[in-house]
Amino acid sequence: MNPLVYMRSVSKIYEVGDELVYALREVDLEIEENEYVAIMGPSGSGKSTLMNLIGCLDTPTRGSYEFAGHSVEELDADELARVRNEEIGFIFQTFNLLPRSTAASNVELPLIYSGMRPAERRIRVGSALSRVGLTDRAHHRPNQLSGGQRQRVAIARALVTEPSLILADEPTGNLDTKTGDEILDEFARIHNEGATLVMVTHEEEVAQRAERVIRLRDGEIESDRRR
Amino acid sequence: MWKELVRLAASTLWANRLRSFLTVLGTAVAVLSIVAVVSVLHGLDKFVAGQILTTGSDVFTMTKIGFIFDFESYLEASKRRDLHPEDAEFLRERLTLSSHVVARQSTTRTVERGRERAKDVPVWGVGSDYPEVGDFPLEGGRHLSPADDRGRAPVVVIGSRVRETLFPNEDPIGKDLRVAGHRMTVVGLLTARGRGSSGDSKDDVVLLPMGTFRKAIESRGTVELMVRAADPEWMADAQDEASLHLKIRRGRKPYEEPDFSVVTDEQVLALFTQATRLIYAALVGIVSLSLVVGGIVIMNIMLVSVTERTREIGVRKAVGARGRHIVIQFLVEAVVLSFLGGAAGALLGAVVAFAVGRFSPLPAAVQPWSVLTGLLLAASVGLFFGIYPARRASRLHPIAALRYEG
Ligand SMILES: Nc1ncnc2c1ncn2[C@@H]1O[C@H](COP(=O)(O)OP(=O)(O)O)[C@@H](O)[C@H]1O
Ligand SMILES: [Mg+2]
Repeated sequence: MNPLVYMRSVSKIYEVGDELVYALREVDLEIEENEYVAIMGPSGSGKSTLMNLIGCLDTPTRGSYEFAGHSVEELDADELARVRNEEIGFIFQTFNLLPRSTAASNVELPLIYSGMRPAERRIRVGSALSRVGLTDRAHHRPNQLSGGQRQRVAIARALVTEPSLILADEPTGNLDTKTGDEILDEFARIHNEGATLVMVTHEEEVAQRAERVIRLRDGEIESDRRR
Repeated sequence: MWKELVRLAASTLWANRLRSFLTVLGTAVAVLSIVAVVSVLHGLDKFVAGQILTTGSDVFTMTKIGFIFDFESYLEASKRRDLHPEDAEFLRERLTLSSHVVARQSTTRTVERGRERAKDVPVWGVGSDYPEVGDFPLEGGRHLSPADDRGRAPVVVIGSRVRETLFPNEDPIGKDLRVAGHRMTVVGLLTARGRGSSGDSKDDVVLLPMGTFRKAIESRGTVELMVRAADPEWMADAQDEASLHLKIRRGRKPYEEPDFSVVTDEQVLALFTQATRLIYAALVGIVSLSLVVGGIVIMNIMLVSVTERTREIGVRKAVGARGRHIVIQFLVEAVVLSFLGGAAGALLGAVVAFAVGRFSPLPAAVQPWSVLTGLLLAASVGLFFGIYPARRASRLHPIAALRYEG
């Protein structure tokens, strides 16, 4: 069977002034279904860039990337949007919730873009919120929620489309240790239920909760270890 | 999807109420102008139709003043001598190309019957040939006669609106009423001419024999002479002939300019049409200008809005919004914005129309087509000027949008 993520010699190069910045350099990477991967590395090592490429938010400058057997280079902006909508759930360090929308509306957002009918959307939103324990906060706005609750709304939003891949870029970076642990317990549960998870972190203890740890340095994979 | 988009647009606009309000002033002014001006023109139309007394193209009117377009000529014309009822007699005896000459003098007076009273009713003194030069169909009774005129009989013919006010549910013929305090007997009732309830100056009228009018209502003042050519083909010659005789009677040489005016309904209508056309041209100018200005303001504000919400756009794209989703979201917002501005303008326009109808002689009334046109124009402006900002929003790169520091 094909791996879910299959990258060969992927580089991401930014032009800053006259200089070329290699955010990623010749990266080979495979991720199988139902893996739980942690990506580590110092700041500026290319972790977010790699996540964005895996998540089809961006495309490689060089190299080839196949997601679930499809060549990402051949997709246009709208086709990439469809892949993100159906196959990928993002969780960000800063949550990235819409501030004026309720928790339920935030969770509903990907379903609206998938063209799902309202009645079905309501059911899905309800079950996603109850899964992260926020049923009673459905009609609160982000500024009426704690940091941990906000991140759980973001997790519900990522889960609601039942994606094949969940990407979390420093999901506990803005949370205290206890709340962060709760979020990680949530991830463990999601993983046990069959999801594929990739998580960026720069904390060893956090990375230890994953099955596989990839270390980046200066845009290159330094090590890739399975436990 | 559409429902969410409209709700989203409404809540976004509401969150920035003051800005939204200022943004739509241009479209509001445009729609206000359309609704108000069209209603006033409509009122003017009805008003002029009510002023036109004669029938057909074979009648002309000789008046002391006529059309005046500047204050100087008004001052000069008002020094002219009045026309008298006897002038009608004089012309009638001499004109060969015209068949009828009728004097008419008008004013407004209170008309009462018992406790019922109608104020400011148009009251006319007319020569007894008046049915020959104007549209005065009888519903009941008889017309005023030459004998009424000679004998200055206290008799009147009333319009249907006067009857409705003073004689509801009864036959007015043979009954008495008071015109400016003078007791008069109704001998005739005119047929309603169905021009609608407002502005129906034709049905709101009391006709008196000229002799009676000069004795009881106004003994002085100018009359106008309504003259009917014996054949419509002879109109021009008939006017020359009548003009010549009136000049002689007023002591002027045939080659001198007349010290009176000769006008036809056609001229009145032509003048009115010309005025209407000018007003419409001005309206189109004002409306286009305010729509363009309004559109540019909307475009600007939408661009600001796109910039402010760059991160929101990034989030939407990250969870799978396609280009057209973003385009539609911002377009809907621009259209809702300009449409609401248009609706506010239409409302204010309706208030203006109502005020004009209420406090001026013009029976102005809101014309539904003008409201429709205005709203449609407003929405189209939002659509047109919203396209550029919406496309800009849709083309943002998701990563660039997410990394944007507002
Ligand atoms: N849009 C960009 N333009 C220029 N340089 C960028 C851009 N995005 C990232 N970089 C550079 O690429 C490198 C990797 O960045 P990033 O992937 O965000 O690192 P990390 O998430 O590991 O901290 C950094 O040197 C960063 O400055
Ligand atoms: Mg990063």
